[in-house]
Amino acid sequence: MRPLTEDESKIVFTKLANYVGKNLIHLIDRADEPHCLRLHKDRVFYVSESSMRLAISIAKPNLVSLGTCFGKFSKSGKFKLHITALDYLAQYAKYKVWIKPNGEMPFLYGNHVLKAHLGRITEDTPEHQGVVIYSMSDVPLGFGVTARSTIDTRKLDPTAIIVFHQADVGEYLRDEETLF
Amino acid sequence: MDVSDILAAHEAKQKAIVVEKDIPLEVDAGFLTVTDLNPIDVESYNEDLEDYLLNTARDGVQTLIASLFQLPVTPSEDGPVAKLPAPTTLLPRAKPLPKPKPLTKWEQFAKTKGISHSKKDKKVWDEEKQDWVDRWGWKGANKATEVQWLTEVPKNADVDFDPSAQARKARKERMAKNEKQYQQNLARAQQAAGSASSSTPNATSNVQRKRELDKTLATTRISTASMGKFDKKLDGEKKLRGVKRKFEPAEVSSSTEKSHNLAILSKLDREPSAKKAKSGGDDVLNVRKAVRFASKGKGSAALARQSGGGKGKKGKR
Repeated sequence: MRPLTEDESKIVFTKLANYVGKNLIHLIDRADEPHCLRLHKDRVFYVSESSMRLAISIAKPNLVSLGTCFGKFSKSGKFKLHITALDYLAQYAKYKVWIKPNGEMPFLYGNHVLKAHLGRITEDTPEHQGVVIYSMSDVPLGFGVTARSTIDTRKLDPTAIIVFHQADVGEYLRDEETLF
Repeated sequence: MDVSDILAAHEAKQKAIVVEKDIPLEVDAGFLTVTDLNPIDVESYNEDLEDYLLNTARDGVQTLIASLFQLPVTPSEDGPVAKLPAPTTLLPRAKPLPKPKPLTKWEQFAKTKGISHSKKDKKVWDEEKQDWVDRWGWKGANKATEVQWLTEVPKNADVDFDPSAQARKARKERMAKNEKQYQQNLARAQQAAGSASSSTPNATSNVQRKRELDKTLATTRISTASMGKFDKKLDGEKKLRGVKRKFEPAEVSSSTEKSHNLAILSKLDREPSAKKAKSGGDDVLNVRKAVRFASKGKGSAALARQSGGGKGKKGKR
């Protein structure tokens, strides 16, 4: 377990900022309890300072997880967000997409969001913007990247892809072994 | 009887013996040299050059010979012989001063450490022979263990242990080492002379050269088909080490870490990404939407006309 280097922090922050924008400051500069980012076995954990201090005393091979896993660094140095980060992303998301109940199951099985399943979308969402996907009852289901801007979606046919799938809560079951 | 003529003649003779000048002549009997520092008398010089030169020369020689006759004299078959004193005139050097020799590596070290060095005598006292023998060379003292008729053999020695051969080998190794160091000192001195002429500080260039060599060596070692894994290892070859990564300690105080992270964030905000530039910034206020709302869907041009209408009439351009 170690703090992120400057380069790693940059990569993580740019990825998170794609979803939460300026709200990223609220993750770093928390009012309640100081939280920090820690790297452990290529995974980035968002953890309260007190837990982190407790975890220091645990040997590296014995430490499985701490705090909330935000994602992991691939071998080529890219950062991939995990579904476990959804709690924080949903809390501070800048752009949101709500999907209809009949579109929930296809999305939770790892498919992209089609226009037919689109319930609501934040106005002026640009193209290739990270969005958090909610059910119509405001339950966060996952996150993705928009394929088209909000204005462009109006002209599309119902089978066109609106949001590219990135992660969904179905992964808790599907990728149980590798997720944490 | 008129003696005035005789007296005058005598006086002229006396004058000829004693030379009187404004500045007395400088005589260096050791070099048989007389220096006349008096300025030239222009009148007599112009009148008769030959006569003037002859007179000056005669005065000089007269003074020199007078000084010679004051020296202690010993009689010989050929006449009296005077012993010349040591010369007093300082002659300039014919050749330039020798340059100081470049210091050897040991001398440099000794200088920095303040180690003084006393030169060893070439001869050492031999108690057995009761005589002075050479320290090295023919029948030198450094070969004593090789030539002695009885040598103590260490307890753990092999059966074929040859003490004299062993000592000889050790001596030859010392010689080889000394020769190697000598060559290295020569090379170093030559290099220092070369770099001094190209006006670069020697120490830094040396360090730089060493670093470059190390780098090249490291590159060549991993430039084989197996990236150096199955190469033949040389004696004394060190394991290649990469750059050691350094991380901050895990238990940094949260405030410093927070400020560090915020600094990174502000740095990220400063550099505009391609997406941000396209979507018109990451601001909370959507300007396009605000304009549409304020102008009730008529656009920014209509809004400008509406708000700046009064001004436009007054300030016609």
